[in-house]
Amino acid sequence: MIEKGRISYLELALIMYATVVATAILYIPYVTSQHAKRDLWLSPIWGSLSGFLIVMIIVKLSKLYPGKTLIEYGELILGRTLGKIISFIYLFFLLHDTAIAFREYGEFIESAFLHKTPIIFVTGSIALSCAIAVHGGIETIGRCATIFLPIVLALYILIYVFLIPDLNVKNIFPIMQDGIMPSIKGSIAPHAWLSQFSLMSFLIPFLTNQQKVMKWGMFSVIASVLTMVFINLGNLLLFGGIISNLYFPVFEAARFISVGSFFEHIESMVIAFWVLGGFVQLSSFFYMLTLGTSQWLTLPSYKQFVLPIGFLIIIFSVWSIPSFEEMIQGMGTTMPFYFLTVQLLIPVLLLGVAVIRRKRSNSFLP
Amino acid sequence: MKIGGILGVTVILVLIFLYQWPKLNKNGRKVKITFFLLMLLNWVLAVLLVIFPEMPGPGQLIDFIYKSFETFW
Repeated sequence: MIEKGRISYLELALIMYATVVATAILYIPYVTSQHAKRDLWLSPIWGSLSGFLIVMIIVKLSKLYPGKTLIEYGELILGRTLGKIISFIYLFFLLHDTAIAFREYGEFIESAFLHKTPIIFVTGSIALSCAIAVHGGIETIGRCATIFLPIVLALYILIYVFLIPDLNVKNIFPIMQDGIMPSIKGSIAPHAWLSQFSLMSFLIPFLTNQQKVMKWGMFSVIASVLTMVFINLGNLLLFGGIISNLYFPVFEAARFISVGSFFEHIESMVIAFWVLGGFVQLSSFFYMLTLGTSQWLTLPSYKQFVLPIGFLIIIFSVWSIPSFEEMIQGMGTTMPFYFLTVQLLIPVLLLGVAVIRRKRSNSFLP
Repeated sequence: MKIGGILGVTVILVLIFLYQWPKLNKNGRKVKITFFLLMLLNWVLAVLLVIFPEMPGPGQLIDFIYKSFETFW
């Protein structure tokens, strides 16, 4: 096996949580509220369906092929040629997804702080620091997650605790004014984000102990959904109807904090801590991409490819997304379908074929 | 400006190459070839992007494939 490090259940859950939630809390309130309006806090609950489904499928697959990632068992299930093609589609998607995540990070930092810096410097510098973590292997990322995420999580909660005097509970009404459909339509973006739980298949083989992986995967999905509901609800209570005009409501909310008129301008602290979560997210994406690529090519080691793949990610983050507006628009329209077809359909296909093959080989054997 | 961009990209890639090359000698031939091809792909894409910044990319491909789904939503 290429990777020698091992992680615990908690580290798995935290890495997956960071992978999904770090950018989700920035972009989901805006994208969801375009369709759902005041029901935006319901949308992640519908989105959780695809999260649960994907975790179940991935755990089933990893039980059938223990110690293998999606790239490796894809080849075992579908045969060499077809397996390589399917794995290539998945890897290309992962490269694209990683590039989008880096771009999301860069756009946020740029619009919040570094207005005049070229975005390539922002993404390039985080890519360099992530490359160091990736070079350290999965254990490094797992330890980073256990150290950083409690701080980030406390931050998410503290923003809205400080804002309690400004929250207006009446903003939540009317609930489901136009029926249930707007919230389901808005759930397309949470679906896309939660479908990223298919990346769990890259982490399961490195668990020290694999019996309770289903429970911890589900726990991670529930935690992500609750965070999204909490953030959406907090923003709705604070901003009311104007939420569909704000690109980064969480950042605006942090800007709003003013306790006793001496505790102000918290947003710089918020970004500084948020970057910790973003770092864990980006380095886990980066790690999965590097590991997947070297497994696809059946190479003995992945560490040599960290820097070239990092460079490729930065190229893609510039190339595949022309502008911020197009990225935001794509998140509400085409991107979720892309995410769902690759991350839901490929595991479903693999599981179906694997189960049929198992049944047939069992019936032929005495 | 374009010459500067191409030079900058080349310098970064050469630095990565010089940093990684001594470590590659320990591994097999396949690792070396893959590394070399990856660097070549990086260089070609980066230079193309410096010269033609508006080059259609994978984002447009995805938009083209999934455009028809939008009407259902």
